[in-house]
Amino acid sequence: MSIKAEHINYIYGAGTAFEQYALKDVSFEIEDGQFIGLIGHTGSGKSTLIQHLNGLIRATDGVIYYNGENIYQDGYDMKGLRSKVGLVFQYPEHQLFEVDVFSDVCFGPKNQGLPQAEIEKRAKEALTQVGLDEKFWDQSPFELSGGQKRRVAIAGVLAMQPEVLILDEPTAGLDPKGRDEILDEISALHRDKKMTIILVSHSMEDIAQYADRIMVMNHGEKVFDAPPKEVFRHYRELEKIGLAAPQITYIVQNLKEHGVPIADDITTVAEAKAAILSLLGKGERKA
Amino acid sequence: MIRDITLGQYYPVDSVLHRMDPRTKLFGTLVFIISLFLANNLLAYGVTTLFLAAAIRLSRVPVKFIVRGLKSILFLLLISVSFNLFLTPGTAVFQIGFLKVTWEGLELAGFMALRLIYLVIGSSVMTLTTTPNELTDGLEKSLGFLNKVGVPVHEVSMMMSIALRFIPILIEETDKIMKAQMARGADFESGNLIQKAKSMVPLLVPLFISAFRRATDLAMAMEARCYHGGEGRTKMKPLRYAGRDRVAYVVYLIYLALIIVCRRLME
Amino acid sequence: MGIIKASKLIFDYIRRDEEEHVEEVNRAIDHLDLDIHEGDFVAILGHNGSGKSTFAKQINGILLPTEGTVWISGMKTTDDSHIWDIRKTAGMVFQNPDNQIIGNIVEEDVGFGPENLGVPTEEIWRRVDASLEAVGMTAYRMKSPNKLSGGQKQRVAIAGVMAMRPKCIILDEPTAMLDPNGRKEVIATLHELNRKEGITVLLITHYMEEVIDADRVIVMDDGRLVMDGTPREIFSRVKELKAYRLDVPQVTELAYELKQEGIALPDGILTMQELMDVLLPMMQERFPDQVKP
Repeated sequence: MSIKAEHINYIYGAGTAFEQYALKDVSFEIEDGQFIGLIGHTGSGKSTLIQHLNGLIRATDGVIYYNGENIYQDGYDMKGLRSKVGLVFQYPEHQLFEVDVFSDVCFGPKNQGLPQAEIEKRAKEALTQVGLDEKFWDQSPFELSGGQKRRVAIAGVLAMQPEVLILDEPTAGLDPKGRDEILDEISALHRDKKMTIILVSHSMEDIAQYADRIMVMNHGEKVFDAPPKEVFRHYRELEKIGLAAPQITYIVQNLKEHGVPIADDITTVAEAKAAILSLLGKGERKA
Repeated sequence: MIRDITLGQYYPVDSVLHRMDPRTKLFGTLVFIISLFLANNLLAYGVTTLFLAAAIRLSRVPVKFIVRGLKSILFLLLISVSFNLFLTPGTAVFQIGFLKVTWEGLELAGFMALRLIYLVIGSSVMTLTTTPNELTDGLEKSLGFLNKVGVPVHEVSMMMSIALRFIPILIEETDKIMKAQMARGADFESGNLIQKAKSMVPLLVPLFISAFRRATDLAMAMEARCYHGGEGRTKMKPLRYAGRDRVAYVVYLIYLALIIVCRRLME
Repeated sequence: MGIIKASKLIFDYIRRDEEEHVEEVNRAIDHLDLDIHEGDFVAILGHNGSGKSTFAKQINGILLPTEGTVWISGMKTTDDSHIWDIRKTAGMVFQNPDNQIIGNIVEEDVGFGPENLGVPTEEIWRRVDASLEAVGMTAYRMKSPNKLSGGQKQRVAIAGVMAMRPKCIILDEPTAMLDPNGRKEVIATLHELNRKEGITVLLITHYMEEVIDADRVIVMDDGRLVMDGTPREIFSRVKELKAYRLDVPQVTELAYELKQEGIALPDGILTMQELMDVLLPMMQERFPDQVKP
C-alpha cells in the first residue's frame, strides 16, 4: 500500500504567456505508516503537491498511483480516493458550516454513503480522537474557541477514516500549548492507528520532533527527501532556499566547529541534552 | 492564478489616455456611445471609426488586447445579427427555406454589429487605461451633485472601491472552501437542480461567515485609522483637470458636431 | 505617567438574549494595572483567550473599559472629544493582513489614514513616501496588495499606521498568519522603527523567538497581568511559562534542562551565543586537546 508519484508536472496557465511551473518533475513513493514532514517556503509548491495526492488538482503530466492503481485512469473512483487520502486544509475551521459540531463531523461519512448508525459511530470516534469533550458536541461550532474549532475540522476529515492523513499547517495561529496538543494527537494517530501522515509545517522544530522523513520543496522541485537528521545536516543549503534547521542543530553544529566531539545529527532538545550531559560526564547515555 | 484577475482589466502603460483625468474619459465614453446611436450612415461610421482608432492609438494598448474583450459578447453579437438578418422585411437577396435575407436586413445587421463592437471596444479603452480606483474617484466627483439630493455618493464609491479589493480575495476563498468540502466528499456537480442547490450550503455558509468576519475586521481597521465618513477628508490624489483634458473636451465637441453634420448630409 | 497607562482596568464581554437580558458575562480583563514608557519595545505574551487582544483594542478606544481607566498620552479613552487624537497617537495593526488593507494600490492604502485626518495633499505624499521608506516597501508602492506576500502586506499595514505619525504602535498578533520569513521581516521592521524613529512598540504575540529582543515582556493569563520583566527574567521562569500555556525558545529550554541536571549555567539564556559562552569553557576543561575557543 503506498502513494507513488511519477514525474509530476503542474503548470499554471499552460499555453499562455503567463505559463509557470508550480511543480516540476516531482517523483516519490510514500510507504504505509510513514510520518512525512513536507517543508518549503510559501509558494514552493507544497500546497499544490498535497492537492494532487487526493485528486483535487490534476497533474499537467505525470502519474500518481494509489495502492498501485493509476488515479488518472478512466473510471477511477476519485471520491473513494478522497476518503482514503484525507486532506486537512490550512485554517480548516473556516469550512465548518453545520448547526452543531456533531452534524458537521458527520458530513464526510454521509457523503461516503454510509448507513446512519455507521456515520454516527465514526463521528463519535473522530471527535474522541481529537480530544474534544462530549459537552461541546451539540453546540454550534461557531461558538467554540479557535483551538476547539480546529479540532472539529480535523475530526471532520478523520471521520471518513482515511488511510493517509495530510495536514497543511495544522497548528497555524494556535498558542504554544495548543500547538503541542494538536501535534500530539496527530502523533497518536500515527502511532496507534498506524495512519500515514503528511505534515506540512513551517516549524522545523516540530518536524524534527515528529517526522521520520522530510521532503523539501523549492520552486516546484523536490530538493531533499531523506530522514530529518540527514536533511538538517544540510542546514546551509536550507538557508539558501529561505528555510532553516531547528535551533538545536545550530547549537550542535557550533559546538562541533569548536572541536567538541558531539554527534552532528542531533535535532531535538532531548537528544542535545543527553549528548551534552554525557560529554560533561553527567549522563549515562553515550553521545 | 485566480488572484491575477483584475477587474476592468487595467493595462499598465504610460500614455496620454492613462494620464487623462478619469472624468474626461468617462465623459468621452459617454460622448462616444451617444455618437454611435446618432450615426446612421457609412460616413458617420467612418468618423466614429477614426475617433476610436485615434483613441486606441493614444492609449498605447495593443489592439490584440482590446479585441480580446470582444470574446465575451460573441454570443450576444451572433443573436442580434441573426435576428436583424433574418427578420427584417424588404427586398430579398437570397432565401434558404423559410429564412429570407434582405438588403435592409443586411444593412441593419451590419450597423448593429458595428455598434455593439464599437461600444465594447470604446468602453474597454476606458477601463484599460483607468485604474478601478480612478474610475470610482471619477464617478464620485462627477456624480457629486447627487449628494445634494441625499444620495451618499462618497459612501457608495468607498463601497465600490472596497468591493474591488475584496472580490479577488473572496473568489480565491470560494475556491479554497470548495476544495476543502470536496476533500470531505462533497459533490458540487452531479444531481438535479434541488440536489445541486442543497450541495451549495456547505460552500455558502462558510463563505458568508468569512465575508462577515472580514467586514467586521475591516470596519475595525478603518476606524482604527480614523475613518469617519467623507466629511473633513482630504485626498491623496485629488482630481485636477490639466491641459490635455481641456483639449479632449474640445475634441469631443468637434467630434459630436461632425457626427451630426454627417447625419444631416445624407438625408 | 507613561504613554499608555491602564489603571484597575476591567472589561466584560456581555452576551444578551433577544430581550436584552444579560445571558452571560465573560470577564476578559480583570483588574489590569500597567504603565508603558515612551520609546520602549514591549511584548505581551499570553495564550489564546488570555485577554491580550481585548487589551489591545482598549488602547485605541475600539473597546471601552467596563470599569477603570486607560490613558494614552494623558488622554482618557472614554473622552469622546479626543477619540481621533487617541487613534492617531496609538496606531493599530491587526492579525489578518488581508482584512486591514483598504486601498487597491499600496501607496493609496498608506495614504488612507492621513486622508481621514484631513491632512493636506502635499503633506500626505510626504508622509506616504517617508512611511513606505521606513518599512522598506518603496519599491512596491504601485503594486496591488493582492500580489504581495503576507510579510509585505503587514509592512504596508505598518506604513499605513506610520503615516498617521503615531507615537506608539500596537500590533495584535501581526505574525500569526505569516511564514517564518514573513515573521522575521515584520519583527525586524518593528525594531527599526523603535530604534530609528523612537516609536513605542507594543507587540502582542505567542511566538517566543519574537520577544527576545524586547525591552520588556508582559505575560497575561485570564485577563490578569501575571508576569512582567525583561526577557531574561521572564525566560528564566520556564515552568511558570509552561503553566500559562506558553513555551520558551529551544536554546532557553536546553539551558534550563541542563541546569536542572546540575550543570552550572546562568538563568534565562536567550541566544545561542550566550549558551556557547558558558558551555564552551566547560567543554574545554573536559577535552583540553580538542576544543578550541
